[in-house]
Amino acid sequence: MLLEVRDLHVEFHTRDGVVKAVNGVSYGVEAGETLAVLGESGSGKSVTAQAVMGILDMPPGRITRGKVVFRGRDLLGLREDERRRVRGAEMAMIFQDALSSLNPVLTVGDQLGEMFTVHRGMSRRDARAKAVELMDRVRIPAAWERVRQYPHQFSGGMRQRIMIAMALALEPALIIADEPTTALDVTVQAQVMELLAELRREYRMGLVLITHDLGVVADVADRIAVMYAGRIVESAPVHDIYKAPAHPYTRGLLDSIPRLDHKGRELYAIKGLPPHLTHVPPGCAFHPRCPLARDVCRTQEPPLYEVSPTRGSACHFWTECLDG
Amino acid sequence: MAEPAETVLEAGNLVKHYPLTRGVVLRKQVGAVKAVDGVDFRLGRGETLGIVGESGCGKSTVAKMLVNLERPTAGSIRYKGEDITRLSGRALKAVRRNIQMVFQDPYTSLNPRMTVGDIVGEPYDIHPEVAPKGDRRRRVQELLDVVGLNPEHINRYPHQFSGGQRQRIGIARGLALRPEVIVADEPVSALDVSVQAQVINLMDRLQKEFDLAYVFIAHDLSIVRHISDRVGVMYLGRIVETGTDTEIYDHPTHPYTQALLSAVPVPDPEARERRERIILSGDVPSPTNVPSGCRFRTRCWKARERCAREVPVLAVPEPFAADGGPAAHPSACHFAAEKQVVP
Amino acid sequence: MSDQPYDPERAVAATPAGGTVDVSLDAAETLQQGPNGPDGPAEERERPRSLWSDAWRDLRRNPVFIVSALVIAFLVLISLWPSAIASGSPLACDLSKARQGSQAGHPFGFDGQGCDVYTRTVYGARTSVAVGVLATLGVAVLGSVLGALAGFFGGVWDAVLSRVTDVFFAIPVVLGGLVLLSVITSSTIWPVIGFIVLLGWPQIFRISRGAVITAKQNDYVQAARALGASNARLVLRHIAPNAVAPVIVVATIALGTYISLEATLSYLGVGLKPPSVSWGIDISAASPYIRNAPHALLWPSGALAVTVLAFIMLGDAVRDALDPKLR
Repeated sequence: MLLEVRDLHVEFHTRDGVVKAVNGVSYGVEAGETLAVLGESGSGKSVTAQAVMGILDMPPGRITRGKVVFRGRDLLGLREDERRRVRGAEMAMIFQDALSSLNPVLTVGDQLGEMFTVHRGMSRRDARAKAVELMDRVRIPAAWERVRQYPHQFSGGMRQRIMIAMALALEPALIIADEPTTALDVTVQAQVMELLAELRREYRMGLVLITHDLGVVADVADRIAVMYAGRIVESAPVHDIYKAPAHPYTRGLLDSIPRLDHKGRELYAIKGLPPHLTHVPPGCAFHPRCPLARDVCRTQEPPLYEVSPTRGSACHFWTECLDG
Repeated sequence: MAEPAETVLEAGNLVKHYPLTRGVVLRKQVGAVKAVDGVDFRLGRGETLGIVGESGCGKSTVAKMLVNLERPTAGSIRYKGEDITRLSGRALKAVRRNIQMVFQDPYTSLNPRMTVGDIVGEPYDIHPEVAPKGDRRRRVQELLDVVGLNPEHINRYPHQFSGGQRQRIGIARGLALRPEVIVADEPVSALDVSVQAQVINLMDRLQKEFDLAYVFIAHDLSIVRHISDRVGVMYLGRIVETGTDTEIYDHPTHPYTQALLSAVPVPDPEARERRERIILSGDVPSPTNVPSGCRFRTRCWKARERCAREVPVLAVPEPFAADGGPAAHPSACHFAAEKQVVP
Repeated sequence: MSDQPYDPERAVAATPAGGTVDVSLDAAETLQQGPNGPDGPAEERERPRSLWSDAWRDLRRNPVFIVSALVIAFLVLISLWPSAIASGSPLACDLSKARQGSQAGHPFGFDGQGCDVYTRTVYGARTSVAVGVLATLGVAVLGSVLGALAGFFGGVWDAVLSRVTDVFFAIPVVLGGLVLLSVITSSTIWPVIGFIVLLGWPQIFRISRGAVITAKQNDYVQAARALGASNARLVLRHIAPNAVAPVIVVATIALGTYISLEATLSYLGVGLKPPSVSWGIDISAASPYIRNAPHALLWPSGALAVTVLAFIMLGDAVRDALDPKLR
């Protein structure tokens, strides 16, 4: 296992109480595998990723329990300078907003080259050559010319490619991509996702794709972890989950999206709203919105039941859900 | 296209150019951003016209012109036959009652300093003839009830509601004057997936209840298909293909529509092997510097010399005109050909 | 809440603990974007909440605010009723006591003219506060009205007004005061106030113009416009309430600097003139005797410093409280 997150708990301390953003999340990624972490805003999917990357703001955040095992080491036990060496070189992150993640006053060549001068001790000239090579890699046309340009001179899709190039620079073993295409148009999104998939195959990297888009997930993921209110509610290989979801939340999400391939009638809508993280309902966090909820759901928090050796569902009545 | 309903809104060769000027004292026009460059459509009573396109294609500018927030550079917008683009004062105000807008961002479209009652009731302050003063509170509460909010929350502030609930408030404000047309600019794209469905269902229900006509503008092709009777696909300021939802989604003939549809991820992992992806090269050209001839030719795999020379008109392509099948719908391409891209 | 059954309908409609739900979740999700994250959710929960009530809640807990507000309250009280704590007259001087130190009944001693420093310092507060408050009012009204005009209508209005402010910004304040005020002989506070307003309004103008332009771009202004709202309605109901906060903050901070500007001008002899009582005049008069009678300089200077600092601190605290990004 390349990366294994075990029973991670993250809290935020605020003036008005403790926000439990992540409540016992566990997932694993193998080398060369794509894990999609699916969830709506507030599900804790990004906070988990930040804790894995070690870029969580602490305070106000605090990791109260859990392990992040990466290539056999528990990252949470490392000193900050050791962690810094892991970041960038061994695991890298791609953000949603490429424009604000790039430094506006440096050329993209300087920013890409910096990865090599700082981490690899290369000369500026060699680093520049490497930068051009990387930009070629992510298929930016006329790379040798554009390497001298500034981020604002690139379009949104091209900037996201530069972000990917930066993440790839040191050939990390794991990439975490947080909504990498949400800000892009569909035709550009398709280009970027295709590029990402191809590079992942080529370098045999592990990819953690954080997204809310069920379509993107179906397109690229090998495995899916669905998050709700800071917990993983279902985890399964991608084909299983779309064929027959084993958690009512996953089923609700799948039923609520309009389809391109047929018109359909009224959409299924999950009733109510996601809970406030300072007031997560007792028992199963999803029970107030769940069509299958019974008394036991209000009092007992469901564990992640084993549906099959590769599949888990945190629903007391997963068999019922699976049968539709 | 069943029985042609009475036309409520009609756009004719709608154009919006924003001049680019240089100099402070002696202003000189050095060019123009051609945001919208000749858009035609008609909208029947109770019908939904979906307009799809990528960012920068001019779809939001069309929306703003329809509700008179922007004056078109040229062209006409007819509400029941009357051109509303040159109206002002009292006449404009009267027309505004019938065409209302729902905005994209539920966080910036409601004034944070006003209560929900004030926001939804504001249309009555501006058009006092619609509702007598004593009746307003009741009407506002009724509206809140109609959009699925608790009428007792009339004194709350917008921040006390979630995104989906705020969008309902925005819809209630749009309904207050009982308009015939609602222009919705990306009304659900800022919302979470599970909440999107709630708002779309609400809009569906209200359409039937109040016989509303929608102009539904979005970049999400799946949502547009779900809600629209007819669809127009926009690229760089123009509609390149238009037709019923089946015509556009199952029998697209314009290469841009085909590329757009093939790029949409389908929530079905089985489809990923079967699907053919058309990956377009490059980016959308700048609207200040529109390519000659067909404006899609710089990214089109079918482009030939003719495309640079001749502007394709939006009409039923000849090869399909005779058969009258689902491919026989307006498409602005010299080499229009049917291609099924949606699995 | 955990002891009662969780009812989704109420969660949608009422959220028992009050307030909203998924707005705050967004905040928790996007924590990397700044320090505003974790406080977001909590803030949402107070029920009748507005920017002002929130700001007030923040301010009440801020020691900086409490201290500066107490100092300012004290200043306002003594400028309204100076005789309550100083029995004598600031103009009753006895040359024979000139430059004497502290003694019974005269805790701060006497200045070069034999006037009681304590009494003069107390009465000086009245001038300072009056100049500060009136000048700030003038600046705020003129600057924000013109700024709103420029920001809302844009075009020629904006171009002309903005160039005019550039001209005023180019005038060095002290030099301008020396030139303009030296020709005026009136011994009232009005010329000084007029001068401060004249040179001060461009600062508020810029703030107000910027705030109006920002507020104008909000969708809710567009929404009201689409409903057919008049310009007056747009400005008064939708733009002004959302643009006034930064103006108030800057004006509060400016108030302190105006007080010190008055003292500077008086020190240079072009501001207030005797028989007015002002800290600036006293500082000016006492400075030749700094070696043998430092107390005559120290007390009015100290009072001035504390006053200016109090207003600047108050402005800072208000700014922090009104800035939603810091929550």
